[in-house]
Amino acid sequence: MLSRIANSLFWMGRYLERADQSARYIKVHYYSALDAPLASKQDFIFESILTMLGLDEEYKKTSKNYQAEKINNLIALDESNYVSIKSSVIYARENARGARDSISSELWGAINKFYHFVNGFTEKDMEKEGIYYFTDKVMENCSIVAGYIDNTLLHDETWSLIRLGIHLERASQTTRVMYSKVKDIQKIEKQKLGKSIESYHCVTMLKSVEAFDMSRIYYRAVPNIHDALEFLTLNKDFPKSISYNLNHINTNVNKISTLKNAESGTLEFEIGKMNAAFNFMTMEEIEADTLGFLENTLTQLYEMGKEIERKYMSY
Amino acid sequence: MTDLHPVDSKNSVFSTYPFNKVLFDEVFKEDGKIARHYLKVLKHFGKLSVEDYKKLDEFAKITFFNQGVTFAVYSDTLKGVERIFPFDLMPRIIPAAEWDHIERGVIQRNKAINLFLHDMYHERKIMKDGVVPADLVFTSNFYNREMIGVNPPGGIYTHICGTDLIRHKDGEYYVLEDNVRCPSGVSYVLSNRETMKKVFSNLFLSHDVKPIDDYPEQLLEMVKSVAPNGIDDPTCVVMSPGIYNSAYYEHSFLAQSMGIQLVEGRDLFVDKNFVYMKTIYGPQRVDVIYRRVDDDFIDPLVYKPDSYLGVPGIMGAYKAGNVTLINAPGTGAADDKAVYIYVPQIIRYYLNEEPILKNVHTYRCEIEEDFQYVMDNMKNLVVKPVDESGGYGILIGSKAKPEEIEKFKKVVAANRRKYIAQPIMSLSVHSTFIEEEEKFEQRHIDLRTFCLMGRNKQFVLKGGLSRVALTRGSLVVNSSQGGGSKDTWVLGE
Repeated sequence: MLSRIANSLFWMGRYLERADQSARYIKVHYYSALDAPLASKQDFIFESILTMLGLDEEYKKTSKNYQAEKINNLIALDESNYVSIKSSVIYARENARGARDSISSELWGAINKFYHFVNGFTEKDMEKEGIYYFTDKVMENCSIVAGYIDNTLLHDETWSLIRLGIHLERASQTTRVMYSKVKDIQKIEKQKLGKSIESYHCVTMLKSVEAFDMSRIYYRAVPNIHDALEFLTLNKDFPKSISYNLNHINTNVNKISTLKNAESGTLEFEIGKMNAAFNFMTMEEIEADTLGFLENTLTQLYEMGKEIERKYMSY
Repeated sequence: MTDLHPVDSKNSVFSTYPFNKVLFDEVFKEDGKIARHYLKVLKHFGKLSVEDYKKLDEFAKITFFNQGVTFAVYSDTLKGVERIFPFDLMPRIIPAAEWDHIERGVIQRNKAINLFLHDMYHERKIMKDGVVPADLVFTSNFYNREMIGVNPPGGIYTHICGTDLIRHKDGEYYVLEDNVRCPSGVSYVLSNRETMKKVFSNLFLSHDVKPIDDYPEQLLEMVKSVAPNGIDDPTCVVMSPGIYNSAYYEHSFLAQSMGIQLVEGRDLFVDKNFVYMKTIYGPQRVDVIYRRVDDDFIDPLVYKPDSYLGVPGIMGAYKAGNVTLINAPGTGAADDKAVYIYVPQIIRYYLNEEPILKNVHTYRCEIEEDFQYVMDNMKNLVVKPVDESGGYGILIGSKAKPEEIEKFKKVVAANRRKYIAQPIMSLSVHSTFIEEEEKFEQRHIDLRTFCLMGRNKQFVLKGGLSRVALTRGSLVVNSSQGGGSKDTWVLGE
């Protein structure tokens, strides 16, 4: 496996996951806001979406108000914006194209079809079909591609590298969603706006990572913020939780690795350590400083990504 | 020009067919009757209405598009613009006996050219014996001095040869040129066939069409057979300029169908005259490289120094015999209009055989007799400079005004060695669906064949790329200039 191909596969996984997560986040927020208990709900929602994607500052430079159409196009279709859904899909496809001989024809066909759909979706289409249709189709395509990844590839380094990208991106995205929501909730607590708003944020946070149904089943109740955080951080069975993804990052790194005994300072060691810490973490430790914990996690994940690239993908 | 009505039904896509009987029509004979080997196909197409045909055509297009069977047109954006190579659904059929002639002829040419190259880079006996002029090859831009004295494994230079053929008014096949540098197009041949099988499965059941899907297997066998001596299980790779190259689809397709790694120049490095690729577990030695990077770009230490597509030191490794390059560097010396003229003599000299396939007759203006003929008959000839490409400096006698011809005569007379002339060849035509007219019309067609040469074995793909000039009357079949292609069927009997 060429280092360059390893790079392409890893980033293909990351961009696919990013497109999926962005689409879901936008969809959930946009539509849950329609009957949210807030006065200037639209502005709040748009600000939340733009902040999540890191575009709020940039947008404020170009416009005074939040306009739905402009924002939809910015977050979904703007190619000059490298975190838009369209950009993520383009990069995923270009990476797949560069690694074309390493993946199956079915997988390539699915990604290429996905790319042509997004690439051919114009602002006029957005006006006619709406953001719901677009994000729904994006999520659907991501699921199809994910199916081909798991079911048509040999589960060797090729598959492991793609999954590394997916799990790392997923862990990062979940952490970011939690960070953003916890901040929102803390803002509200200060303003003493009431339980219903806190509950709204909690539910939105869970829905953003498709965790609402499962968390209800798990807790046999509508989860409060403590349970929600626990579910998304520590639940070993939920596919979007940080713990679940760290576990899989650990497994896949060890699959690729040729080291027999990982020593301190190696990639395998550091990942194993972080994974173990999460396996035995308690909510008390987290809630001592929730925001700090989440920030720290994000930094660790970022470093991990850099280390993976340094070890396998520099050429 | 008369209109044929090959099919009774007025709704059929073949209800009317404009027929110019002066041209050699591959599907219809001179009297307008359908050639025997096209009867079943025409019957089937005759049942299709224009709507039916368009639906099938759309399906084929989407199949190509989704699989990424495209070529890129360069543009400013990151993505580039991708185009499907236009594909016509009516197959070009070659009966067994006709094909046998082509196949033997192509192999013979490839063998002779290969021996010629070996001679040119060693003793140059053919020149010393006066069969070809002394400066024939040295004045070629592609004569590669680095290759003098080099002995490629198996003595093979032209592992992959793309000989282009046309069919003239007399019904005979003529060779237009032998592409022995980096002939391309085979991936479209294989993709076209896959799509045709999906669209016209019943037609395949009623014809004995020779398979072409053995090409990747044969190619891999050939690639492995020329590994450096002593290597039992060679590591073979396909080397591409990368995803922004217009033929990238073909490079990745070939690598994938052979099951070998696709690499770019930046994935390789040379250490102590061995070539290695950069893997996640460290360097891995490479033994055979099927390179789709031109000679000029392959080694910045030896050729173009600003090339990012090549590998510094690769020529050193090659000359030391530690890696095999396919095709060998320097084959361009034979891929040349001047050498083309002499191929019949080359075949006779090295193989002691008469050429099986005909060359287009060529007049060399440096020879007195030929020069007189060219001066007297210029309005019926195509006059070309031997050393230019891309169609520059050419005079097509039948299309030029009398003043232009007089002017050109002076140019030729002033530099006779630079000019050759050939009779204006009338390419055969094939029934091709024209979207704007919503019916089939005659369009000029050629055939690119693919011949593989390994240690002790030659293989010719049973079929090839039949390229169609889509513009009415045009003889230009290249993809970059609006050409399309057809599936080519070689029949079993």
